[in-house]
Amino acid sequence: MRIKVAIVLLLMILSTTISTANPGGKGDSIRSRDCAGSCHGSSSTNGVSGAELDIQYQNEVYASLLTEVQTSVSFAEVSSNNMVGLTLLVNTDGAKDLPANDGWEVITDPNGGTNNYVEIVDSFSLESMVTQTWILRAPTTPGEYTLYLGIQHGTPDGGIAMTGISDVRQVTVSEIPENLPRLSEDWEPVNSRGLGDETEITLKTVNTDSAVVELKSGGEIITIPVVEDKFTIPAAVNAGTVQWRVILDGEGPTQTSPWFRLTAQEPGWEVNEFALYMQGFALFVLCAAAVLLQNSNNSRPEKSKYDNASEIDSQFGQMQQESAVPALEHNSVAPLPEGGLPAGWTMEQWEYYGHEYASEINKGGY
Amino acid sequence: MISAGTFHVITTELTIGMFALAGIAFLLCAIQKGPISRESVAHWALLGGLIATPFAIVSGVNAVSGDGIENPMLANKLLLSMASAGLAVGILLRRMWGGEVDIRHSSLGMISVALMLITAGMGGEYSRGETLLFFIPKETVMLFPLWASIALLVVGLAIFSKSAIQHRS
Repeated sequence: MRIKVAIVLLLMILSTTISTANPGGKGDSIRSRDCAGSCHGSSSTNGVSGAELDIQYQNEVYASLLTEVQTSVSFAEVSSNNMVGLTLLVNTDGAKDLPANDGWEVITDPNGGTNNYVEIVDSFSLESMVTQTWILRAPTTPGEYTLYLGIQHGTPDGGIAMTGISDVRQVTVSEIPENLPRLSEDWEPVNSRGLGDETEITLKTVNTDSAVVELKSGGEIITIPVVEDKFTIPAAVNAGTVQWRVILDGEGPTQTSPWFRLTAQEPGWEVNEFALYMQGFALFVLCAAAVLLQNSNNSRPEKSKYDNASEIDSQFGQMQQESAVPALEHNSVAPLPEGGLPAGWTMEQWEYYGHEYASEINKGGY
Repeated sequence: MISAGTFHVITTELTIGMFALAGIAFLLCAIQKGPISRESVAHWALLGGLIATPFAIVSGVNAVSGDGIENPMLANKLLLSMASAGLAVGILLRRMWGGEVDIRHSSLGMISVALMLITAGMGGEYSRGETLLFFIPKETVMLFPLWASIALLVVGLAIFSKSAIQHRS
């Protein structure tokens, strides 16, 4: 029997496949390269991705201002769910490699969040190139900076986690010209909104005389006037993303902002949490009570075919009855001698041993 | 310090491991096979799992990004784990009060274990997007109105009190 069990267990172990991938992803987050998508496995078990990675950025990147970075992935052979994890990094060390470590700030990631690691589901293949856009705020100190794009994905057979990283991209961050029309350093775009809501956006500008907003919806570009630094984006009927940018005019050279994305989302799932917790507590008490109800309904256990306790009880009772008569006779107290209790005897002793004393007297003892 | 996510992994593995052991022992109790210690193993493992359960729930709530319960799967996890914990408490109390480990008792123990394992399966689907329990609908939440929950709570407490009084007498 033990050998059979051992063989079954061995077959089960041999039938497993070695997989170090997270096919469902781990969710967008702020992650270092070592943890981006493969925290669960040793990096030594990962394969090398054959994807080609590239980073494109604007010609002029000014300190503290928003800038657009485009990342592209080509020739990626991914798993059947077409999911790829992309990480924006500042070095290849695997530690202190977050954009924030060099002073970059992710304002909008490709999924509309503010993370340096995002999971993208798209038509990745050996024939296609997929491009994503990130909006970053440049570091406050001018100088030379580096950016890398990391990638994690599965394989078509689903076995190994593949990782890769792009070549280095040098980015020169320049000092802001004094009269440059620009968006204020403390202004941030809105990334998401609900369906059916018009969105009024207030701009904060510096050195700007006039501004015009361009709204890209589908293939069409619509111009929206900016009045007192405010403009309104029409309501979205369906979930989706519109892009807009602002063109700023002033004494300095005209500036065009990156394309900002505004994602319309369906309202999330909502629940009355008090009602949910109350139901959970009610289920807890009710389930416990239901089990205890079994106790009171089932207090008399069913008789087992091996249970002969009642038989033994009846036999024992019979034996007790049989021995009861002589015991009673034995227990009757012997009559006291004429002179009362023998010297040194107590009444209790007499009750028990009086018969023996009397029979000894009769035999001529004592 | 470790993050709530890591702590959640530790506590859920404790919970699920002990519940799974209890489930196997209850199965042996139900079919009346295996070592004599199966009853003790079933109940002690269930107690161990039950002790770890609140830690798993609290760390799980803290590990979820965002505010509150924003996913039907999380709501179902909460309801299932509470029902499972309730069954487990009932089973342990029943045994402590001298109830016999018969087929009904063992079956309730296995149901408690099954509910906890389904809860764990949902956690896998929530965090990794995949589970063996793909055939179970997880996006539908059977949420009672508040009055119904209160009524159930009152009924449960009444039965509980009655059982406790019967046990004392």
